[in-house]
Amino acid sequence: MSTSLAEQDVALIDLVDRLLGGGVVIAGDITLAVADVDLVHVSLRALISSVAKLEEGGLE
Amino acid sequence: MRDKVLHAPPDIDLFATEQPRLENALSRRIGADPENVERGLAQLVLTIVELLRELMERQALRRIDAGGLSDQQVERLGTTFMELDKRMEQLRAEFGLNPEDLNIDLGPLGRLL
Amino acid sequence: MIELVAITHAAAPPPPARLRAIPVGGLLAVVAPATEEEATAESLWRREELVEELMADCDLLPVRYGTRFADDEDAAQAVAARHATLAAALDHVRGAVEVSVRVIGAEPRATHAALSELARDAVERPVQPPQVLRGAYLVDRDMVDAFAARVAQLQAAQPGSQILCTGPWPPYSFSDRP
Repeated sequence: MSTSLAEQDVALIDLVDRLLGGGVVIAGDITLAVADVDLVHVSLRALISSVAKLEEGGLE
Repeated sequence: MRDKVLHAPPDIDLFATEQPRLENALSRRIGADPENVERGLAQLVLTIVELLRELMERQALRRIDAGGLSDQQVERLGTTFMELDKRMEQLRAEFGLNPEDLNIDLGPLGRLL
Repeated sequence: MIELVAITHAAAPPPPARLRAIPVGGLLAVVAPATEEEATAESLWRREELVEELMADCDLLPVRYGTRFADDEDAAQAVAARHATLAAALDHVRGAVEVSVRVIGAEPRATHAALSELARDAVERPVQPPQVLRGAYLVDRDMVDAFAARVAQLQAAQPGSQILCTGPWPPYSFSDRP
């Protein structure tokens, strides 16, 4: 391979960054919006990210 | 195709020090044990969703009992909860969780659900 | 189970082997069979190569790794729900690719400004010292070489600085804008 080890490493870092942290996010959103009967809008994504923030904070 | 470097700085190693190991990438993002991170997080989140779902169902039933909703609205509420149930089932399956897994033990406070 | 890998326009050519395209309005949800394999550097590169092969023939929005659905119907439903935003994003990235830049020891604002000039769009991500700038730039496909040349210029103009530029990437940082 013509690329050096360091070049492979930095490329992988940029790849992982994008694959796991970028791209279109469509995952497990549960929306309860029944026309005129407005109950609650539950977004799994929002829940997961707020739980993730809590966990991050806990380890600081 | 893995040759992605368009411009390399004089000391490219300075940028390679962020460990590219995936375990670290994942754990840095979520700050927890990477092996169980998804499942544990999913368990927590789905439990919260299940709790909310039960609360919402009770709320909906109260409103139905109190009257003032059209037949159409009542029917749509029923369908929505059925769909939510189905969706919950799929999500549980995706993460390998049983309904019992969502009933977290809070110790002296008893079980969550 | 299937994994949603990319979103393309309905007029795109048929995807390479292993991928299937599910029509959703004017879009295509491109899916692959979900595998049980672990996420390793090797498997991630293979996934990336699949998406880039697709991108060689048409513009696309890459989907976050690990986005899975039980079946075609579920995937189509999820894409349909976000149809308008996805169509707009696809429009935004048409004919362009993403280039990544990370900087140590150079003046971040001026560097970012100089690079943004050659880009259709740009986003900055949080940095950790010693990096002072971490940017993603949406660059016309035929401007990538000029962009790399500008990076080299900025590097040369700021002795002691370190500017790393990688790409071209599918437009990960420009696929999910609100």
